[in-house]
Amino acid sequence: MALLETQDLTHIFPDGTVAIQNINLKFNEGEFVVIAGANGSGKTVFARHLNGLLKPTKGKVLIDGEPITKNIVETRKKVGLVFQDPDSQIVGQTVAEDVAFGPENLNLPVDQVEAVVKESLEAVGLSRLSTRSPHTLSGGEKRRLAIAGILAMRPKIIILDEPFTGLDYPGVVQVLKQIIQLHKTGHTILLITHELEKILAHADRLVILHKGKLVEDGKPEDVIYRSENYGVRMPLRDGEKVAALTWLK
Amino acid sequence: MTFFHYIHRDTVLHRMDGRFKLLCMLLLSLSASFASQLQHYLVLLFVVTLALLIAKLPFKALLKDLKFFGILILIVFVVNAFNIPGDPIPNFPITSISLQGVITGLRFAARLTIIIIVCAVLTGTTPLMTLRNVIEWYLRPLPFVPEVRIATMINLTFMLIPLIFDNFAEMMKAQKARCVELRKNPIKRINFIVFPLLNQTLRRVDEIAYAMEARCYSEVRTRAVFKSNKIDWLLLAICLSVFLFVIL
Ligand SMILES: Nc1ncnc2c1ncn2[C@@H]1O[C@H](COP(=O)(O)OP(=O)(O)OP(=O)(O)O)[C@@H](O)[C@H]1O
Ligand SMILES: [Mg+2]
Repeated sequence: MALLETQDLTHIFPDGTVAIQNINLKFNEGEFVVIAGANGSGKTVFARHLNGLLKPTKGKVLIDGEPITKNIVETRKKVGLVFQDPDSQIVGQTVAEDVAFGPENLNLPVDQVEAVVKESLEAVGLSRLSTRSPHTLSGGEKRRLAIAGILAMRPKIIILDEPFTGLDYPGVVQVLKQIIQLHKTGHTILLITHELEKILAHADRLVILHKGKLVEDGKPEDVIYRSENYGVRMPLRDGEKVAALTWLK
Repeated sequence: MTFFHYIHRDTVLHRMDGRFKLLCMLLLSLSASFASQLQHYLVLLFVVTLALLIAKLPFKALLKDLKFFGILILIVFVVNAFNIPGDPIPNFPITSISLQGVITGLRFAARLTIIIIVCAVLTGTTPLMTLRNVIEWYLRPLPFVPEVRIATMINLTFMLIPLIFDNFAEMMKAQKARCVELRKNPIKRINFIVFPLLNQTLRRVDEIAYAMEARCYSEVRTRAVFKSNKIDWLLLAICLSVFLFVIL
């Protein structure tokens, strides 16, 4: 049984925009999936269905074979979503406070909240910045803070929506290392991006959305040669292998 | 602006129990509003300046920001000086200013200054989340008051205000870069700012709401634990004595 599954997932906005249409996908435990697509192809809308932030117009999302709506809090604990714009995700005035927001929502006892905050900040290497104001962090640190805020919920699946936008080279490397580390520690990773050259070497699978439809789903080395048909740059030069597609040395 | 921003330091005031701190600050503000004699103001000014120094808040930067409030304080002073009827000041050319007016004006100016410093110390030494938890704690015993909701609302409001200001400043700059100054119609210019700003703010609020929901926002949440010690009681006692000194 798949860990997370969408069946005929369709979302039509009130203004008539068909954002995603009949998407059938299965994600298995421990997978590292890259979801690509041009601007406006429906990636963000798709991601927001996976933890029930948006309600489908048609179709459904299953987690461990059960509809996510059955226990929405449990779903949101299991499926962590890191937002495209990290600023909108920050609610705390200090780094530690922000990470505590999730566990406090779960009504954990104070000592457990403290422990999980400490652990999450350590996991992303931000412990020494715990008293800083989040808005003074660098781009890469902000992304890692957003990841820590999600880690504090102890999710099984982590969805990252465009984690590299606006980051410089060291920022991308920081975040990339973090994501690979999360995968190693047993998390299932769904990574939304159109910058395949930064990450694809680490992925098991490449999914492409185009105008709200699922158009490709398979091994990166099979799918990548067709990506340009859907507005996603094909980063391989002659003779290069998918393994070359990473910004890590 | 350094004013009204939390500045992390390790001082007695930063470590102070938030409940006591809020109560102390309320007492001092009340004392300022009730103060009537010169020695009251001197004692209060001494206490709040001491607090400012103990808190190790950046004194110079605060003074610089105080300029903005200086205008406000000046207006309060001038309005009072001109509007309170009384005897004219001897040997002073402007006869519409009365002695009583000047004294009342000074009084109000001093009150305002003290209250502004109190607010600066409170916000400078207390993270918003603590302040939020304190408010929640005080509201908890009241029946029919959704204390968690109110506290969260206060929290979000305080968080959004600086974001909106930043946004506004950015938009002004971007529009200046496109020569918005050449437009002479002020209504049009306001339109160019207000609607996009409102739009962006609403969008932002939407995003924040989604992000909070993604992290399971719930009103049944971990309650903050407050711990008080002897120092908290001592500081409260000091503020209480100042208050009693002023009203008695
Ligand atoms: N609130 C909304 N109301 C109406 N249409 C919307 C809304 N949000 C998104 N859309 C539309 O849905 C479609 C998919 O949007 P989505 O944000 O998922 O794209 P995306 O693939 O994430 O793009 P990007 O790469 O720019 O982030 C777009 O055509 C967009 O205009
Ligand atoms: Mg998007």
